[in-house]
Amino acid sequence: MATEARDRIAARDRVEQRRRPAEVPSTVRDDSEDEMVVSFPEFVFKEFIAAVAMTAFLILVSVWLQAPLLGQANPGMTPNPSKAPWYFLGLQELLSRFPPLMAGVAFPTFVIVLMILVPFLDRNPSRRPSERKVAIILFALYTAIVVALVIIGTFFRGHEFVWDWGWVLGNPQTCGGSPC
Amino acid sequence: MTVIRAALDEMFAVIGQMVGSVFRHGLPLTDKIAARTALTNFFLHIHPVRVRRSWIRMSYTLCLGGLSFFLFIVLTVTGLFLMFYYVPSTSHAYQDMRDLQFVVTFGGVIRNMHRWAAHAMVITVWLHMARVFLTGSYKKPREFNWGVGTLLLLITLLLSFTGYLLPWDQLSIWAVTVGTNMAKYAPIAGPYTRYLLIGGRVVGDNALLRFYVLHVVGLPLAAFLLMVVHFWRVRKDGFSGGL
Repeated sequence: MATEARDRIAARDRVEQRRRPAEVPSTVRDDSEDEMVVSFPEFVFKEFIAAVAMTAFLILVSVWLQAPLLGQANPGMTPNPSKAPWYFLGLQELLSRFPPLMAGVAFPTFVIVLMILVPFLDRNPSRRPSERKVAIILFALYTAIVVALVIIGTFFRGHEFVWDWGWVLGNPQTCGGSPC
Repeated sequence: MTVIRAALDEMFAVIGQMVGSVFRHGLPLTDKIAARTALTNFFLHIHPVRVRRSWIRMSYTLCLGGLSFFLFIVLTVTGLFLMFYYVPSTSHAYQDMRDLQFVVTFGGVIRNMHRWAAHAMVITVWLHMARVFLTGSYKKPREFNWGVGTLLLLITLLLSFTGYLLPWDQLSIWAVTVGTNMAKYAPIAGPYTRYLLIGGRVVGDNALLRFYVLHVVGLPLAAFLLMVVHFWRVRKDGFSGGL
C-alpha cells in the first residue's frame, strides 16, 4: 500500500511538471517553486474551520432572527407594492424604467450570455490586477449598478412602485393600505 | 484467569480490527500517513493529495466556493427536515408553516436556518464569482469551468426563487406573481413559458406543486450534476494559484 501510494504521488508530480510550462502564460507568477503541502489535513482543516464558523453564524442568526411569514396567500388581495425577491429587484427596477421586452427579456439574456462569454472576450492574458484595469473597472461598474438597483428596489420603492423616502424618514411601510 | 485474559485480548483485537477497518491509517502525524489517508478516503479524494500553499491561501480564495458548497449541504439537510412536515397544497402549506414555526420542536429554527442559508448562498456564490473574476481565474484553461459556474449561479437564484413560493403567504404568492410576470414579456414564447411554469394563468395549486417539485428534486439534481463537473474541472484544469 505504502509503495503504491508513493508511486502514484510521484507519477502525478511528474505529469504535473511536464504539463506546467506549456499552460502557464508568461504574465502569471510562476508557482512551481511554491511549497507543497498535503491537502489533508492542511487544506481540509481550513475548510473545516470555515464550515464551523458558517454553522455557528447560521445558528445564531436563526435563533435571533425570525424568517418572515405574513398572512395566508390571498389571490384576491394584491399588496401594493408587490415586490419580487431581493435578488430579482434589480430586474423589477429595470422593468419600471424600460420597455418590458428590453428590461425583462433582452437585458437579462444579454447579461447571462455575456457572462458565459467573458473568458473569450477578455483577450488580455495577464491575471495581475495592475494589468487588468479595464476589466476590473467594468466589473466594478456592473457590480455597483446591480447593488444600487437592488437597494433602490428594496428600500426606496413604495406604493405603486414609485419613489418613496418612507423607509429613510421612518414612516411605517404599508401593504395595501394596512401595516405590513 | 487466563481464560478471561484471553477473551479480553480477543475482544480488544476485534475492536481494533473494527476501528482499523474504518480508520485505516491512524492519525495523520506524518505527511506520508496523511497522503495515504487522502488517497484512500472517498470523501477526502475530492482534493488533490498535495497542493501548493499558495493555492489554498485563505486571503486569496476566502473559501467562498467551499462555503457555497457547504451552504448547499446545509440547505439539503434542513430542507429534508422541512419536507417531513410540509405538504405542497394550497390548503395545507400555510398551516404547515405555522405548525413548523409554533408547534414542531426546533421547527422554527430549522426553517429560519433554511431561509437564511438560502440568502447566504446567493451572496457567497455571487462573491465567489466576483473573486474568480477579479483574480482573472477564468482565463485559459478555465474558460469552460467559468461557464459551468455561471449556470450554477443561475440555478442558485432559481432554487431560491422556487423556494420563495412554498410558505404560501402573501409575500410568496405576490413575489412569484411579479417574478413570473417578467417571463410574459418574451416575444411569442413568453405567455406560454409563464403558463408552463405556473400551470395556469394565476399562481395557484399547480404553481405550488410545480415550484415544489422543481425546488426539492429538479433543480437540486441539476445543481448537483453541475457541481460535480465544476469540482472535477477544478482538479483537471489546475488551481488558479496566487497572483
